[in-house]
Amino acid sequence: MADSQGAARAAPATANDDDSVAELRSLLLGEAEKQLAEVHERLFDPQMQVKEVSRVLPDAISVRSRQDDDLTTALSPTVSAALERSVRKNPQPLVDAIFPIMGPAIRKAIASALSGMIQSFNQTLNYSMSARGLRWRWEALRTGRSFAEVVLLHTLLYRVEQIFLIHKETGLLLRHVAAGEVAVQDTDMVSGMLTAIQDFVHDSFQASGDNQLDTLRVGDLTVWIERGPQAILAAVIRGNAPQQLRELLQEILERIHLQFGTALVEFAGDAATFAAADPLLEEGLESRYDAKQQLRKSTGRLSPFTIVTSIILLALLTWGLFWMRDRRRWNAYVERLRNEPGFVVTDSGTRGGKYFVSGLRDPLSRDPAALLEGTGLSADSVTEQWQSFQALSSQFVLARAEKSLAPPSGVKLSVTDGVIEAQGFASHAWIIEARRIARFLPGISQMRADNLFDLERIEDPLLLFDLDQVTLRSGQDDKLNRLVDDLNHLREIVGGEPIKLEITGHTDGSGTEMRNNTLSQGRSDTVAATLRSRLSAWPTLTIVPMGTKDKLRAETSEDDRATNRSVTMKVIVNNNR
Amino acid sequence: MLQKKICMLGTFAVGKTSLVRRFVDSIYSDKYHTTVGVKIDKKLVKLDSTELTLMLWDLEGTQTENDLRKSYLRGAAGYLLVIDGTRQDTLYQALALQTRVEQTIGAVPFLLLMNKSDLTSEWSISERETAALQDKGWGVIKTSAKTGFGVDDAFHSLAQKLAEA
Repeated sequence: MADSQGAARAAPATANDDDSVAELRSLLLGEAEKQLAEVHERLFDPQMQVKEVSRVLPDAISVRSRQDDDLTTALSPTVSAALERSVRKNPQPLVDAIFPIMGPAIRKAIASALSGMIQSFNQTLNYSMSARGLRWRWEALRTGRSFAEVVLLHTLLYRVEQIFLIHKETGLLLRHVAAGEVAVQDTDMVSGMLTAIQDFVHDSFQASGDNQLDTLRVGDLTVWIERGPQAILAAVIRGNAPQQLRELLQEILERIHLQFGTALVEFAGDAATFAAADPLLEEGLESRYDAKQQLRKSTGRLSPFTIVTSIILLALLTWGLFWMRDRRRWNAYVERLRNEPGFVVTDSGTRGGKYFVSGLRDPLSRDPAALLEGTGLSADSVTEQWQSFQALSSQFVLARAEKSLAPPSGVKLSVTDGVIEAQGFASHAWIIEARRIARFLPGISQMRADNLFDLERIEDPLLLFDLDQVTLRSGQDDKLNRLVDDLNHLREIVGGEPIKLEITGHTDGSGTEMRNNTLSQGRSDTVAATLRSRLSAWPTLTIVPMGTKDKLRAETSEDDRATNRSVTMKVIVNNNR
Repeated sequence: MLQKKICMLGTFAVGKTSLVRRFVDSIYSDKYHTTVGVKIDKKLVKLDSTELTLMLWDLEGTQTENDLRKSYLRGAAGYLLVIDGTRQDTLYQALALQTRVEQTIGAVPFLLLMNKSDLTSEWSISERETAALQDKGWGVIKTSAKTGFGVDDAFHSLAQKLAEA
């Protein structure tokens, strides 16, 4: 066929000359040309290319995979995208495919979670009611953590002391690591015994299949055993380790299997190969729950509890200060009442959140409200109950006396040892009345008026005149002298106060009214003149003479008429009586 | 340093534990101790060319081969089959035991130790029987845990076999 084709192609160009060349070429290259055509077909026919590639693809992938990871890297996005599209399109095939592995995985996860939960539940129950539990509750309150967290912090204090990597088949020790100062027994024998014990337990209790001893506990020590297909990891733990540690141990064991898979299978007694596993095992040793660090972290945090406590303390402190201040003020007030005249405090204290004081009080004493003022205590916070009584101290006796006696301004009262003394000057009427009243005043046994000038001495004596005369009847010099002496005496008592002396002239009923008017005015003028001359050195004395028609007394006898022929006097000190 | 697991097998009271104690601690006690389960010991054996750590699994004595706890055999590099030279039945039990062991862990090096060789007057194993065993290719060694006769030799011989295996 190639021959005829070659001949056909050559023919149109050089119909005659080239026939021979084509024939020559066909003779020379015959077979090769045929192969070339085949190669050409293979190279450019897509159908053929697909067939070719499909022939070498599996081997090519296999070779390349052994060589490096580039193929995996290159395929990853495509595979991911393909998977994603496939799942989107119809998830069922994938679900069917992974179902067998999903079940166990989920079961394992749930079992692990449950185990962890039960562990913490047990711990919580164990610790919630003990003294230690109460202490931890307090710590939880103080640090603002949950109680469960605090329990965990304390109970998960543990240390992985030793880790044995044991060859599962022989029970021979592959590697052993121990935390620093832990006393280590003959590890080879421990390894053997651990294996033997597992076998013993497994055989003795006819445990089925994969069920193996996974925990040994002696006092505070726990041995956790994790097993892989070729090796066993046994961790000796002091304290209470969390479930997470088991997961870590499993992970370590898995990594050891990954790294030493072949060596484990081919193990013939030489453990040196596994020295490289030490860093992995030490990872397990180093795992521990650092409670101290956890607790330290909390110190920087201001918990709500701290804030509330601070506020309460601050409030208490403030309240305490106010309370103390009020208390001090109250005590001072009660003390003041005790010392205040007219008060007898019989009881004091607090009742129903209020201060109270009770006792006796003289009505003449100062108002308690006035005393309270200035202490800083509010009247609302104080209840007072006072029974009236009469205090017998001089001060109150005097005050009562002044109230009862109403002494005129010229009188000064004083009380000494139950004796009231009046000094100054007063009308005779007041003196009489005062003497009468004083007898009934409590705390007063007598009244003395030795130094009290009775104005009667001036106002009582009558200076008499003869009938129809304006000159003084003779023989009254003593009376007049006494009057002058008394006025001088009064002057001494009164001091510098102005004194008005009203002199009123009187007549008897005989004679005419006009005559009598003249007589009365004349008579007062006479006395006024006489006194003025005798008391000229008394500048504050004003003498006012006046006449009157008024009779001193009704005239039934000559004696009455003689009395009516007279002058009377009235003393006005400082414009009032 | 190579480690090898070795099992001590045999009927009860043939002297497995005594042999181990003699070998490991050079001590012998007349007092009989029944081993429950397994007791593990360790001995470093120096050979001409190398050193070997033997982990000795001293298994509890068996009445018959059916009593054997197979799990203890797992991973054993070799074993010592111990009989009481004064009790002929222990030899027959050992033979049955050996068959069972080989079924379980395959053909691994082992030796037959005829213990209590100090009790010559009570010896009940004939030379003919011994020779028959040796003809089968078995290594047979007479030992006495009491006097120490043949003990080191026995362990060393097995160790040598293991090293060569």
